[in-house]
Amino acid sequence: MTTDAETATVHEHHWEWSWAPLLVVAGIFFLLPISFGFYFAYDDLLMTAIFAGLGTVLLLAGVSIWVHEGLTQTPLLAGVANVGLPIFILSEIFIFLSLFSSYWMMRLGMESWPPEGTPHISNTIPLVMTVILVSSSVTAHMAEEKLEHGDLSGFNKWWIYSIILGSVFLGLSLYEWSNLINEGFIPATNAYSSAFYTITGFHASHVLLGLGAFIAVLIPALSGRTNKTFVSCVSVYWHFVDIVWFFVASQIYFW
Amino acid sequence: MSTPTTTTGHAAVPAWKEWILTTDHKRIGILYLVGAMAAFGIAGLMALIIRLEQMELGMQFVESGTQYNGILYFHGAVMILAFLIPGLTGFAANYFLPLMIGARDVAFPRINAFSVWLFYFAIVLALLSFVVPDGPDIMWTGYPPYSVTTSANTSMYVFTVHLLGFSSILGAVNFLVTVIYLRAPGMGWNQLNMFVWTTIAAFVLQLIFIPVLASAVTLLLFDKYLGTHFFDPTEGGDVLLYQNLFWFYSHPAVYVIFLPAVGILFDIIATMSKNRIFNYKAAVYVGIWGTVGISGIVWVHHLYVSGMPDWIRLGHMVTTLLISVPVGILTLSMWGTLYKGAITYNTAMMYAASCLYLILLGGLTGIPLALPSMTLHLSETSYVHAHFHFIMALFAAFALFGGIYYWFPKMTGRYADGPIATVSFWLNFVGVNVTFWPLFIIGKEGMPRRYWDYEMFKDVQIMGFYFEDFHKVATIGAFTIALGMLLPTINFIYAAFKGKPAPDNPWNSKSLEWTHTASPPGPGNFGDTDVVLDENWSPYEYQK
Repeated sequence: MTTDAETATVHEHHWEWSWAPLLVVAGIFFLLPISFGFYFAYDDLLMTAIFAGLGTVLLLAGVSIWVHEGLTQTPLLAGVANVGLPIFILSEIFIFLSLFSSYWMMRLGMESWPPEGTPHISNTIPLVMTVILVSSSVTAHMAEEKLEHGDLSGFNKWWIYSIILGSVFLGLSLYEWSNLINEGFIPATNAYSSAFYTITGFHASHVLLGLGAFIAVLIPALSGRTNKTFVSCVSVYWHFVDIVWFFVASQIYFW
Repeated sequence: MSTPTTTTGHAAVPAWKEWILTTDHKRIGILYLVGAMAAFGIAGLMALIIRLEQMELGMQFVESGTQYNGILYFHGAVMILAFLIPGLTGFAANYFLPLMIGARDVAFPRINAFSVWLFYFAIVLALLSFVVPDGPDIMWTGYPPYSVTTSANTSMYVFTVHLLGFSSILGAVNFLVTVIYLRAPGMGWNQLNMFVWTTIAAFVLQLIFIPVLASAVTLLLFDKYLGTHFFDPTEGGDVLLYQNLFWFYSHPAVYVIFLPAVGILFDIIATMSKNRIFNYKAAVYVGIWGTVGISGIVWVHHLYVSGMPDWIRLGHMVTTLLISVPVGILTLSMWGTLYKGAITYNTAMMYAASCLYLILLGGLTGIPLALPSMTLHLSETSYVHAHFHFIMALFAAFALFGGIYYWFPKMTGRYADGPIATVSFWLNFVGVNVTFWPLFIIGKEGMPRRYWDYEMFKDVQIMGFYFEDFHKVATIGAFTIALGMLLPTINFIYAAFKGKPAPDNPWNSKSLEWTHTASPPGPGNFGDTDVVLDENWSPYEYQK
């Protein structure tokens, strides 16, 4: 029978532990359910601010510990995250599919589309956004190429370009939203506004998450520490967010 | 804050850190077990309040119908989302799946810890519904328009679903990668434990279907708090859209619970009968994966009376009846595994054997509900309530309890069997029948489910008895179960520390978690030698 006597092999001979998962979950918990509840259900701005702030701090602390551990510890089997991420993306695809099917259920059930109360929505902004997001995927790919060739400063440069492009994309999205809201087109206006804000907002939340991941890669990379699996996962996720945008934009704006 | 991964140079860590902050799959499994059992206890208390309220005509225990609704919400949501799913795919999968495939841990240990913490915070959120003045009162289904128009806090329901859903999706990613990449060298797909197969099938379902539920409840959240119109027919929305999205997940969720429960039973039955799995390949590829394949196209049987077109109802009647085929194959395989076996009757096997009865009853009472013509009569009655309790609450929970007794020596190095275990098994088994048989009978006569009272039926007699009499019997049954659950809880805690010591493989199983690890397994599971298997190895090779 086996024992767990310590030897010089690489196998774990002590109980592994980490602060990161608990902190990240606590952060998410305060930032989303609790803050949301205080804001929308109980109209308590002070508590919303307190818990959102607390949640953000915990989340950032957890993520930074997690990234640090990920870069310094040896995993059980290196590189499997490259398989895990696509499996996770499959799940994401189903979220978008159900949002799109809800959208088409409403749209096909209406007599005219877009319904009454919808202002003219410019096609220019989504076109520019598409170009920007595709470029950011290209720059992310360039960064990966540089890393492949061991050029870390080149990687950092192209990675920063991607972050800038992604931020511009998000900025444009917010600009468009604020314009529309000023025109009185809010989520509650009609069926189209419901779908419009839900789907573009859900996509934007993915862009935001992607940008967070980009920054989590960038900060250690600036001081010379990075990991190819980590970079390629973030990059694959970003390409996914990019591809989903084609479906979002084509159905929401152009179709 | 970093922990070294090699043996050299790591500092001694306080025990609480090694438990609370653990990333080890076995300890995470125990955390899941503790959380799931706590959730089970509290949601069980809610069930007792429901039974007490129903025992007599009129309002005795709850203060209002709204409070009763809140109790129903908590009971349903917590039992399904925080006890059954985390108990089976959280606890059992975490602790035993890596051991069964010869892995030293899961592929992503920190994500595993992340999942368990999402689960705990979701329980906290569910418990907060007792603290706030406006806890959710929308059952576990949260149907609009009521969930949108109610003054209660629907957001708590939505975020509980989000947290648990995210936890399950990450668990699914983790375990699928683990099974694909971390199997011991030499372990082929036809050499996996049935529990491993059923668990990955459940995770495939979680991966694909949870996102749909997540988006349904998100749209609900937006409808309630942002004023969107997804489920509002006056503005082009559709209330049936919610029901479709909801059941598109929540029917497969039944199999998320059912399949791992079946997997546990297979492992108990094969070990305790010292026999091979009868028709292994048919059970795996037709039974398990057939169930998975059909499970996504049967959900409309929950909407037979909601106003679906006839052709859809007929189509889903056919698929719903069809799913009895793979389920039947699994059941036959369990019986066949007993055939000519040398059966040992211990507590685990008693639970497993009783499951063979529970699945028969729960399964067969479902067939009328697959037929739209019968459902017009039976829908929303306590017949439905008794049916799904037999298959979900009783079958799955008994399988889980059987699993706990079966693996208790592995987890603690001690037996949990004994007179208390036997007595509590019989209390539970008798209790569930006494509770749910009367509900079948009055359900068939029209007793509505989810009502706190049944004033309109007070003069109706069945076989000379009033509805109230049946409810009294059911309540007695519920308290029998309560006693039957309280005793083993005490027994588990006692046995974990003071029970009779058990050897590493007390049941003489051939499965890896028994043959290759100590009880309980230490860090890294398998000591210094990696598990390597030859092509003839099987976890069920008892003939050799």
